[in-house]
Amino acid sequence: MSKVNTVLGTIPAEELGFVAVHEHIGYGMPGSELDTQWWKTPEQRYEETVPKLRRFHEYGGGTLVDVTGICNGRDVDYYKSLSAKTGVHIVACTGFVGGDTALPFFARASVEYLTRHFVHEITVGIGGTGSRAGVIKVGVSRGGRMTELDKRIYRAAARAALATGVPILTHLAIDAENAIAIFNEERLPLDRVLFGHADDGVNAEKTRDTWIARQGGRVGFDTFGYETELEDPPFWARPRKQRLAHFLRFIGDHLDKALASADANCSPLGWPGVKGHTVNYLFEDLIPDLRESGVDEATITTLFVDNPADFLTIRN
Amino acid sequence: MRSVNTVLGPVPAHELGVVAVHEALLSVLPGAEHAFDISLDRAEIFETLAAKLRDFREHGGGTVVDSTGMFHGRDVPLLEALSRTSGVHIVASTGMGPEELLGGYFLTPQTNPPTPWPAEKFADLFTREITEGMVVPRVERRGAAGLVVTTATAGGMTATDESLFRGAARAARNTGVPVSIRYGADAVRELDVVLSEHVPANRVVVGGLDRRDAPAVEIARRGAYVALDHVGTEDDTHLGDKERAALVHELLDAGHGDRILLSAGAIGEAVGQPGNDVPFSRVLSTFVPLLDLSEKDVRRILVDNPRDLLTRHGK
Repeated sequence: MSKVNTVLGTIPAEELGFVAVHEHIGYGMPGSELDTQWWKTPEQRYEETVPKLRRFHEYGGGTLVDVTGICNGRDVDYYKSLSAKTGVHIVACTGFVGGDTALPFFARASVEYLTRHFVHEITVGIGGTGSRAGVIKVGVSRGGRMTELDKRIYRAAARAALATGVPILTHLAIDAENAIAIFNEERLPLDRVLFGHADDGVNAEKTRDTWIARQGGRVGFDTFGYETELEDPPFWARPRKQRLAHFLRFIGDHLDKALASADANCSPLGWPGVKGHTVNYLFEDLIPDLRESGVDEATITTLFVDNPADFLTIRN
Repeated sequence: MRSVNTVLGPVPAHELGVVAVHEALLSVLPGAEHAFDISLDRAEIFETLAAKLRDFREHGGGTVVDSTGMFHGRDVPLLEALSRTSGVHIVASTGMGPEELLGGYFLTPQTNPPTPWPAEKFADLFTREITEGMVVPRVERRGAAGLVVTTATAGGMTATDESLFRGAARAARNTGVPVSIRYGADAVRELDVVLSEHVPANRVVVGGLDRRDAPAVEIARRGAYVALDHVGTEDDTHLGDKERAALVHELLDAGHGDRILLSAGAIGEAVGQPGNDVPFSRVLSTFVPLLDLSEKDVRRILVDNPRDLLTRHGK
C-alpha cells in the first residue's frame, strides 16, 4: 500500500495529485513570536491564507508540503482546519530548518533523543494534534557550512527516515559532501533525500546539483518566484530567466531527480514576507514558462505529480 | 505613589512585605514545550506552584519575584491566577539571556549577513514589556514587567550578552524599573557594562554573588545590590549556608547592609531541565535563624532593601 501522512490522516499517494513540495503556511524564526510587529489576528491569518489555498486548489493543486520546522511557528491544528476547509492536502514536517532554528532544549539533545522525537512525530503524532509528520526537515545553518548541531540533526533524521520510511527535505544543498557522508554512514538511500534550495540566488553557484543527482539524491528547485525583478526582492532572489535556464538544464539530464516549488509563505509569521509571491507562482508563472520553453505535459506531470508521489510515499 | 509592577497591577511598595527576589515559578527551557515526552499540564503545574506559594506565605513571605524573563516559560495568565489564589504578590520580569538561551530570531535574523540584534533593539523589546505590557506570544499584552533580567554566559560575556546587558540597562533607565543581572565570569566588569549605560548603581542587582569565586563586597562597594540567591544550596560552585551567613555579616560590618538581598533561587516547576527541591520559604525558615541578626537587620534585608530596589523610579 502506498501511503503518505497528511495532517488529516493517512492518504494513498495516488490522491496527492499536483504537489507543491516545499512551502510554508507561515514561517518565523524562533523568538519572533515575542516581537509584536509581526503579530496578526487569527482573522487576518485566515484572510491571507485561505484564498491562496483555494486558488491553488482551483488551479488543480492537490497537496502542499509545509516544511516549517518544530520551533518556527509550525501550527498543526491550524493546518488541519485549513486543509479541511479548502480541500488541499497538507503534509506537515518534523525536524528543523537548521541548527540555528532549534531552541536550546533540542540544541542540547543527543542524536538518540532527536531520533526518538522525530520518530514519535512521524508514527504517533505531533504534540496533542494526533497528526503525523509526513517528512523530516533538516538544514544548514547560516554561514555556509554544516555546524556540529546541523550534523547531529541530519544523523537523527537519517535514522528516523530509515525507521519510519518518510523522506527528508533539506534547507540548502550547500556543503552536500558532509550531508551525504552522514546519510551514507547511516545507510539511507539518497533518493529518500530532497536537497533543497539548489536554485536560490545566494547558493546556486555553490551548490553541486548535478553531483548530488549523480550520487542518487533528489534536487529541489524550490525557490521559484523569489526574483530580482520583484519590487522588493529578498536577498536570496535570482533573475527569473537565470533560474529557469538552470532548471531546464538540470531536467534535461536528471528529470527523475528534480522537484520544484515556490517556498512561499501564505501568511508569514516573523518577517514581512515577499509581496506578491505565493505558491500559485507554480501555476501562474512557472508552468507557462516551462510550456513556452518547450517542456511537454508529460514532463510537467513527472515534476509535479509522479516525482513527489514517489518521494513522499512512506517506504517500508 | 511609590509602586511596584506586579502581575495584578501596580502595588504600593510598602505592601510587598518579605520579598524573595530571585526565584523562578514556571521555568521552561526554551523548546521543551515542543518535546514529545513532555506534557505541560496546567492544572498540575498550578497546584504545585500554588502549594509552594502558600508555604511561602505561611512562613511570612509577601512577594515572589519571578526572574525567568520573557522567554523561559513565563506564563502571565498563570502567574495572575497564582497571585490571586495565594495572596502572594508576584512580580514578573522581562529580559532574556544568556546568548545560548535566545531564539534564532535574535541571533541569525533573516538578513544578509545575519547580524545578531544590537542593544538598542533589545532595549526597545524590553521597554515595551514595561510600558505596554508583557507579551503572551502572538495573542496579547498583559500586565507590566516589574524588572528587567539578563544573564552572562558562564564562560564569559559574549558580544550578544553585552548587547543584552546594554539593552536591559537602557530599558531600566527608560522606565525606572530595576535591572537584574546574573553574572558570568567577571561580575565587576559585567556590572560596569550596565553602569556605563548611565543606570544608577542602586537600580541594579547582581545575582549569583554567593558563588565561591564571587566579588560580593566589591559589587556592594560600587553601590549595586548584592543578591545571595542560592540560599539552601551547597555545591562545588556555591557557598554553604554557614559561609553564606558569614558573608552577610561581612557585608553588614563593611557598611553595606542596605545592599544585601537574599533569595533561594528556587525553581517552582522545572520543565526540560533539572529542577531543585528548594522551597521559596527557605530563607525565612532556615537561613534567618542561622543568621543571628537583629529584627531590624532582618527586616532591612528581607523587606526594605528589595522594596527600595523594586520601587519604580521617576517617569
